[in-house]
Formats: sequence, C-alpha cells, structure tokens
Amino acid sequence: MTPILRNILVVARRDFLAIVATPAFLLFLLAPLFMVGMGLAGGVGASQLADSARGAERIVAIVDPADVEALRAADRRLRDAFRGPDAPPLLEVRLAGPTMIDPRTVAREKGADTYAVMSGPLVAPHIVERNADGLSGRYLALLASEALRDRAAGPVAPIAPRFESLRSGGASIAAQQSMGFGAVFVIFLLTLLLAGQTVSSLAEEKGNKVIEILAAAVPLETVFLGKLLGFLGVAVLFIAFWLAMAFGAGLVAATQFDPASLAAAGKAGKAADALASMPATGWPFFLGIGFAYFILSFLLLGAVFLGIGAQAATVREIQMLSLPITIFQVGMFSLSAAAAGAPDSGLARFAQIFPFSSPLAMAARAATDGDKAVHLLALGWQALWVALVIWIAVRLFRAGVLSGGGNWKFWARGNRA
Amino acid sequence: MIGDQLLNDFSVEATGLTKYFGDFKAVDAVSLAVPTGSIYGVLGPNGAGKTTSLRMTLGIIDPDEGTSRLLGGLKPQNVRSRIGYLPEERGLYPGMKAREAIAFMGALRGLDWSEGRRRAAAFMSELGLERVIDEKIRKMSKGMAQMVQLIGSIVHAPDLIVLDEPFSGLDPVNQERLEMIVRREQMRGATILFSTHVMAHAERLCDRIAIIARSARRFEGSVDEARALLPMQVRYTPREAGDAAAIAACLPSGAERRGDAWHFAIEDKDVEPLLARITASGHGVSGLSISRPALHDAFVHIVRQVDAGFDADATEDAIEEASA
Repeated sequence: MTPILRNILVVARRDFLAIVATPAFLLFLLAPLFMVGMGLAGGVGASQLADSARGAERIVAIVDPADVEALRAADRRLRDAFRGPDAPPLLEVRLAGPTMIDPRTVAREKGADTYAVMSGPLVAPHIVERNADGLSGRYLALLASEALRDRAAGPVAPIAPRFESLRSGGASIAAQQSMGFGAVFVIFLLTLLLAGQTVSSLAEEKGNKVIEILAAAVPLETVFLGKLLGFLGVAVLFIAFWLAMAFGAGLVAATQFDPASLAAAGKAGKAADALASMPATGWPFFLGIGFAYFILSFLLLGAVFLGIGAQAATVREIQMLSLPITIFQVGMFSLSAAAAGAPDSGLARFAQIFPFSSPLAMAARAATDGDKAVHLLALGWQALWVALVIWIAVRLFRAGVLSGGGNWKFWARGNRA
Repeated sequence: MIGDQLLNDFSVEATGLTKYFGDFKAVDAVSLAVPTGSIYGVLGPNGAGKTTSLRMTLGIIDPDEGTSRLLGGLKPQNVRSRIGYLPEERGLYPGMKAREAIAFMGALRGLDWSEGRRRAAAFMSELGLERVIDEKIRKMSKGMAQMVQLIGSIVHAPDLIVLDEPFSGLDPVNQERLEMIVRREQMRGATILFSTHVMAHAERLCDRIAIIARSARRFEGSVDEARALLPMQVRYTPREAGDAAAIAACLPSGAERRGDAWHFAIEDKDVEPLLARITASGHGVSGLSISRPALHDAFVHIVRQVDAGFDADATEDAIEEASA
C-alpha cells in the first residue's frame, strides 16, 4: 500500500468510526422514515414524466400503397370503439418499398414508443409486438382484416397473422424515462441526505486544533480525500442498512401473504409497468452504474462542500452556507430531471457533461440509451473533477493559512509565536 | 551532550525564513541549523515568531522567503513520517480513547495500528497514566491530555522531534517527566528541537539555543555562550565593615552596597586583579561568590537590547514625522 493511500485510509477510518460509533448515528440511520413524503413526491414526478411521454406512443403498419386508404379508414372507424385506457396508440402508416423494411428495426426506433409493427400482405401480416399480452398487435390484425373486408365488399376468409414478440429493445420509452428520473431522484435524495454533512467536517479539526497535527503529518489532499471516503463509508452503510431492511420486509411479506394476491398486486400500477420494462442498458448494468454514479455524485458534491466548509471560520458561517449548498444541489437535480425528460436534447447533453450534474444525468441516460461505453468515459470525467475540486479546495485552504487566516485562531498571527 | 563529529551533520537546516502576515513581518530571515542528535532550543518572548518559524521549518506553512531542509537535505514534505511534532495549540479528538488517539497519530506517520496501541500502553504505563489508557480524551485533565499528545508525537520513534512550548500547562512533576522523555529520546538518537520562553528548561536541556526577538534571530550558540554575553557577577562581603569609601575604592566602579555585601560585575580577565586588591586592602573576606549570570539574565539582556533599539527607532521616526 502506498503511503498516500495509507494516509487516506487512516483519516477515513477515523472519520468513519467517529460517526458510526455514536448514539446519534442511530437517529441518523432512522431519519429516512420521515422522508416518505419526499419519496411520494418523487413518485408523482416520475408519473408525470411517464404521462408526458405518452404522446410518442404508436403502432406502425408497413403496407402497399394500395392498402393505405383502406387501412386508415378502418382505423378511423374502429378507433371509436376503443376509448379510455384501452385506446390503441396512434397509427403510423408507412409505404412498403422495393427494399424490405425490418419491422424489428422500426420497433426499436428512438424518439417514439412503438407498441407493434405490422408488415407483409394484409392476408398474412407479420406483426412484431412488444407485449404479447397487449392489444396493439391484435388491433393491427383487426385493421388488416377490416381493410380486406372493405375492399372485397363481402365475406372474406380470415386472415392469418403471424405474431412475433419483441423480447428486447422494445421497452417503453415512458417507462425508461421514468427509470431515468427515478435514478436521478434516488441519487439526488441520497446525496442531499448524506453529502451535505461534509460541509462541517473540517470544522471539528479546526475547532479542536487537530488540523495542525494532520497538516504536519500528511498532505492535506489525503486529509480531504480521507474525510470524503470516511463519509462515503457512512453513506454506503446507510444504504446497505435500508436495502437490508427492504429485503427483510420483502421476505416477511412473502411469508405472510398469499403468493397469488402478491403477484396480482405486483402486476398492477405504473410502477409495476416500469419494473416489468427493461432499462436500455439492462437491469444489472443499470443498477451497477447507478451505484457508481451515486459514489461519484457524492464525492463531487462532497468535495465542493468540504472545500467550502473548510473556508468557514465559525459554526454560524457553516450554518449560513447550508442554504446555498442545498440550493446548488436542488439546481443540479432540476437540471438532471429535465435532462431525464428529454434524453436527446441539448439540455440533456449539457447536464451529462457539466461535472456536478453529470452523475445524475448519466444515470438517467443509462435508462434510455443502450450505449455502455460512454459511461466509462463519464466516470473518468467525473473522477477527474473530484481530483480537481479537492486540489482547488486544498489550495484555497492553504492560501487561507498562508495569508494569516484572518479570524482563524489556529493560524492567526496575533500572539502566536 | 553531542559529540563533535555530529556538529557538522544537521537535521534541520532552515535558511532565511521570512513570513509576512499582511504588512506585518512575523518572521524576518530566521535561520536555524540544528545538529543531528542534539537538543536545540528556540527561545523568545511571546509573539517573537517562534511558532511561525517552527511551522515554516516543518513545511506546515510556506515561507515567503527562505528554505527549509530536514534530515539530510530533504524537503519537509518528503520526511513527514520521520518527524514528530507537538504543536503549541494542543489538539486531540475528544471522543477518542487515549490509546486510540496515540495509535492514530502514529498511524498518520506510518506506524501500524496494533503496534501503535501496544506502544501507547507501554508509554502511558511508564508515565503513570495506565489508569486512563482507555479513557476518552474529554474525560482527562488538560495535563494528562497534553502528555497523551506528547506520546502521540513520539510513538513512531521519529528521527526529528519538534515540540512547540511543550512545558506550558504541565505541573512540575510532569515537567520533570517531560524532561526525562526528551533526554531519553536524545539517547535513542533523535534530534529534538523545541521552543520555550521558560529559561530553566532550556538551561537544563539544550545543547544549543537560538533566541528570537522582534521576529528575527538575535543569538545562536550554546547556553554557556549565551551566559558569557554578560559579565560575571560578584557578591563580596568584607570581614571588617570599616570605611565604605575605602572598600569601594578597591572594587570596580558601579559596585553597589546592599546590607553588608557589595554587588558588582567584572570581566573574566579582571578576576585575579580583583582578588589581589581585596587581599591587599586588609578588609578581609567574609563571603565571596563569582558566578556566571543565568540564561534567564542573558535572555532578558538580549531581548531588552532589541526592544531598546526598536524604541529608539520608533522615537527617531516620530521625530522625523513631526519635523516633516
């Protein structure tokens, strides 16, 4: 182990134990019980996002030019029969050309939420559908049948549709955007709860004069990073505790309730829809990268707060700093949430690149965009900024020291030597 | 005391250290050369610049001018693990137990945690603090906490130990223990640099001293050399009180009578002539002591000289300002 890493871990270990081995930590650990209201607010936000994406839903028919009018007429006539939640998505008609269009490709097109795609002759259409239990594919088959019947002006033989279920890549955009927003919200909430503590972290050392011992013994960069890692350890412990609680609650529920009713309950609601859908990068990657982005978000914002807090001379100043810090966090959340709602917009690109919103926005991107390599780049970019912020914070801290420190008793020049 | 062979080997070589706090020159071109294996004292009145000098020497704060090299010409940042430092402003985590606090300070300097705990217990037992080994710092007296911090600064057996006002706040018993520790660390091979404004400790411990006053170094040398800055002090009591004027005539000018005794100062070269005059005068000798002034006197003399120079400069400036 290198001396620098060892020093970082020594400081981190001290801070971690100093926080965890206190009765106050229990209160801290249980505080999320009071945060249920915020969770509900997050759920409402995700729901609104899902609703906003509803306009992009569609079914697609790729047909000969001769069938277009008949198909549209059938759609106009039949659509009136399906209202409310059973209403089929808007019909988009495309002309079949000399080159074959792969319906699976159409189903996976970005920018729209495609439920089913019909191609081939109307008497034997090939229907690719995302949900085998859904109505969209059958509606397209019904349209084909009606269009043939209109043209024949009499009884026709039943059509022979061939259904194909689209297993992957066809997740609902609305659900994916909801997942993206959920990732943004969860990371924001955890960062808000946990990273803000770092602002007062150095106050302890400045108050009890330990900072001079630390500054003499190890590079200040290792002190700052060690403190961040100590607080990160607390955060991870916090998350692990609540995950374990949730898992335990799930196990208890499984043993206390009828499995059939649980399954029925699980299938109901928008949340269940979202869970049934797949993030663009897949669940394992999405969860893993989400955790990685939480760590980077924590380190980035924590480093900023630590640096700001290090400049504060009194507890009162630290308290005063809490408001702008919270506003800054909410600002990053708002930016990233907007980016989650418009994944391909310039705003989203900005949020993904701007270092302090990047972890949130990139987590949202992992839900809607299947490109995985870009996340490695993003993690590297964010880690670079963590190092940069710590470097600047230490320079500012030392500059305060070198300039005599004004009202810092430790560094003050009056009757010092 | 250190051997001559070590005098050319310096553990601390600070040259021209200068520090401004705003417009105030807190330290003015202070140089320190601390021989390896020695005990070196930095003496000075409050506010002279001792602490700032030590902080610059250790690289805790950057000097505006000057350089500091430690333990063989290395930058302070590169030899942190070989240094032990007790700051003037004592600082420990109040929630930590004494043993853990010492182990933590050792770990910061690269000592294994378990070894740090073991050494902490051994040190504390030796200093009569075994009953508070697992006591939290906040429950300890100030003196005890100070001893804990001192142990923490030497637990990793450093090559260079820097102690800033180590005796302040300690009772006489603990002061004696601290002196014992300092001597033992020197015997182990460590170099000790400490600051103080209590001359008795410096006089007993130091191989060499530097006196800092008004931000600048005013003296550097051994304790004896500092004491030699002032003439020897004589206390003479004649056997026959007799004629005071006749007695005064055989004593140097400035001799002052207090009760039966006469007090005056003489240069080294004047001792034998004085004894000859007293013997020849026939007043006899009831009591006679010739002694070097204490370090305290030399220190006060140096500091007052500096202060007088500053006062004279200030007066001149005021006159110039008024006349302008």
